Amino acid sequence: MSLIREKGNWEIFKNGIFGENTIFRMAISLCPSIAVTNSLKNGITLGLAVVFVQVMVNVTVSALRKFIHPKIRIPIFMFIIAGYVSIIDMVMAAYAREAYREIGLYIQIIVAFASIFARAEVFASKNRLDKSFFDGLGMGIGFLLAMIIISFFRELLGKGTLYGLKIVAGKPLLIMILPAGGFLAVGLLMGFFNWIDIRFYGGKGASGAA
Amino acid sequence: MRPIDMLKITLNLVIVYVLGGLLIAFVYSKASPVMYRKAQEEKQAALKTMSPEADIIEKLGDWEPHEKHAEYYVAKKCGKLNIRMVKDEKTGVEREVKECIDGTPIGYIVESYGKGYSSYINVLVAVDNNYVVRKVNILHHAETPGLGDEIERDYFLNQFNGKTVEHLVVVKGETKEDIQAITGATISSRAVTEDAVRNAVIMIKGGKPESVSEGHG
Repeated sequence: MSLIREKGNWEIFKNGIFGENTIFRMAISLCPSIAVTNSLKNGITLGLAVVFVQVMVNVTVSALRKFIHPKIRIPIFMFIIAGYVSIIDMVMAAYAREAYREIGLYIQIIVAFASIFARAEVFASKNRLDKSFFDGLGMGIGFLLAMIIISFFRELLGKGTLYGLKIVAGKPLLIMILPAGGFLAVGLLMGFFNWIDIRFYGGKGASGAA
Repeated sequence: MRPIDMLKITLNLVIVYVLGGLLIAFVYSKASPVMYRKAQEEKQAALKTMSPEADIIEKLGDWEPHEKHAEYYVAKKCGKLNIRMVKDEKTGVEREVKECIDGTPIGYIVESYGKGYSSYINVLVAVDNNYVVRKVNILHHAETPGLGDEIERDYFLNQFNGKTVEHLVVVKGETKEDIQAITGATISSRAVTEDAVRNAVIMIKGGKPESVSEGHG
């Protein structure tokens, strides 16, 4: 499909983590990156749910890409995404109630994550099953890692704990677990990754994509 | 558009939606009993925290705030409490059954709903025998994170302790007599106070329900 040479699965996987990282490089799906990252546990749980939905959506869309009529691909993608989100929502409501009570709201809005829809439209609907799988996995894990990094700093600085365990004694920076702290953390980290990119890769992005 | 396209589109939608529907139905059939059982257990635990000094909490009846099913309970202190283990014949799980002798009601617990900003807020209200609110707990809601979800916090909920029905009014700004609204979440505060809690108290006060004399919980 593309004009440049075909990318290998590893490259596709890496692209999701570095080159086109959902949060730090594409700056999409920022809503959960601020809302859910006030604790490491929440960040990881939502990240894992996103990995599941992203991979399943990519695989399904890729498998059905020849069957779906181009005129109605959008409603069908939407339905596929909504279907997998409903599934993960119900499974979590039944088997992970503690986490679900905290982030249940955000599980449901995975439906509207630009990152998932974008990969279905841009990648999975045009590529083979295996490539779409690795693209979904890379994008999902890239998102998960971003969530882990953001929530690591926010929980450590805001509450002085990590995964609920007390790490730092004394008065933490409360602002970091409030919404404002989310913006600060995301902004600073995004700047940090851009700096790395410019300093070590000449501003071309870790794998060539800007 | 050619007729063949219309046929294709129709088939596309029908097949994808039917398959998706079946998959979701399958997951639901597996997950829903677990959800129900866990919700039941959590409900019992929630009732217990509403009235920790009660020996036994019995269901009194049902009512329908906002056309939703809700239950109300009486909390009793028992003269004597017998606990025995009973085996459930279907599942084989052992379960505690409490028998209350000489129970005296010490208050009521009412489940209620209030219409919030973006969801129905499900609450539990504990009142004493004089219908003074003792405790309010939020069971479930889907209010705006960061604003409306402050209704779960203690600083808001603790205000309800000791309020009679005429003081279940939301006020913006400092107040000791009434309920102080959460900044940026007046609608959610109102929904809890003036809708869910007040209606629950009025309901339990109005048609004071007689205790069902079964003696089992």
